[in-house]
Amino acid sequence: MNGLQSLSNDLAAAVERAGRAVFAVNGRARLGSTGVHWRPGLVVTADHTVHVEEEVTITGPDGRALTARVAGRDPTIDVAVLKVDAPGVAVAEIADSDAVRVGHIVLALGAGPRASWGVVSSVGDKQMLHLDLTLYPGFSGGPLVDAQGRVVGINTSGASRHWRLAIPAAAVSRVVDELQRRGRIPRAYLGVSTQPVRLPEPVRQRLNLDQQTAVIVVEVQAESPAAAAGLTIGDVIVSLGATRIADPTDLKSALRPDRVGERITALVLRGGEPKDLQVTVGERPKRT
Amino acid sequence: MSVQSVPDIAGLAEHLRGVTVEVTDAGDLLGSGVLWPAGCVVTNAHVVRRPEATVRLVDGRCLRARVLARDVDADLALLGVLGTGLAAATLAEPDTVRIGSFVAAVGHPYGLRGALSAGIVCAIGPIERNGRPWIQADLRLAPGSSGGPLADAAGRIVGVNSRAAGSLALAVPLSVVARFVETARV
Repeated sequence: MNGLQSLSNDLAAAVERAGRAVFAVNGRARLGSTGVHWRPGLVVTADHTVHVEEEVTITGPDGRALTARVAGRDPTIDVAVLKVDAPGVAVAEIADSDAVRVGHIVLALGAGPRASWGVVSSVGDKQMLHLDLTLYPGFSGGPLVDAQGRVVGINTSGASRHWRLAIPAAAVSRVVDELQRRGRIPRAYLGVSTQPVRLPEPVRQRLNLDQQTAVIVVEVQAESPAAAAGLTIGDVIVSLGATRIADPTDLKSALRPDRVGERITALVLRGGEPKDLQVTVGERPKRT
Repeated sequence: MSVQSVPDIAGLAEHLRGVTVEVTDAGDLLGSGVLWPAGCVVTNAHVVRRPEATVRLVDGRCLRARVLARDVDADLALLGVLGTGLAAATLAEPDTVRIGSFVAAVGHPYGLRGALSAGIVCAIGPIERNGRPWIQADLRLAPGSSGGPLADAAGRIVGVNSRAAGSLALAVPLSVVARFVETARV
């Protein structure tokens, strides 16, 4: 057998193996999506494909239709977790997504199963995996698997118009952990509105910052964690804990669900002078 | 990484080019075809609309071809060619192709001779309710690819490329091709 034939067999085996934990998710009117049996009784899918609030019909790899309940969502990384009683359906083998490297061969699976292949283009800042492969209609929410059939992420076409992206398995597991720990997925919250701002060159040099931009606070909500920490309009947030904040999306992705309740140091510039503020990440109040 | 671990796709391409023909009419490229069975070429019905055509082999020889059978529903046609020393494609076992397995297509997209595209089997089955089954491949086809071979990692034919649906390639499964050829040759 030549190298190409063994690669071919490996890929087919990977699809077969990973496909045992793949569900079809009927969470929106026209096009269904895909879900992964992440842990026993918990199916992960792409949040943007679940238009219903409570119950959703999902179909297992054996063709059985089951009723699942929306157990929690994290729209900031496009993950929804469904609770379902699915005895006999295999649970996906989750791989260490931090070990994924640019150039690794990966497969995207859709319910059916269907499969496409390609390579990892970029691992960027570890918040998303960028892929060079085709995500066919209905592939959102499905697993990105390595050549051994282990899940390294959840594919989504909802997060970007230009890129095929996958949410790394580690980020998905953090969300699922929170759900299991608290019984729900909290939305982390500071209570500020921000806009990107260019950092003056002298300030960057003086503070030894490699980032070109940061965010300026344009609104502080009353009685919010930000207000309690003493943040005020005009403060420039440079970093939050170990995460550097170059634009408002950085702030959004730093506010992961598992950070609710955590005390983090925010480095801010006030009147050009650096200042450390202690912020306790809160939970977004329910809309009334 | 050792060099030996890099799969030999170039060798596969060369092999497939040897069994892929251009189907032409009065100098116009109509599509691609597969040399199989002996003395014949299988192509798509939509490639040959007239009773005769010309096939051009990889070595540049041009042979007259007569349409022996056409099945518009299956999108298959069988051409008879007269020539000596013609290669013939090797077939895979029918219905052994697996989802995720490597496949390669050779054809002449936009007149680009012997172009290879490589991918995997995305799915097997109809693309619409009650439609006919296809091998759906995650690889690129373009006008001029039609009628060419879809082959596995060992260069064995698993289907005949028919058309693209979005970025999916649709190929007539080998079992359908074999049945058509058997019927046509009676």
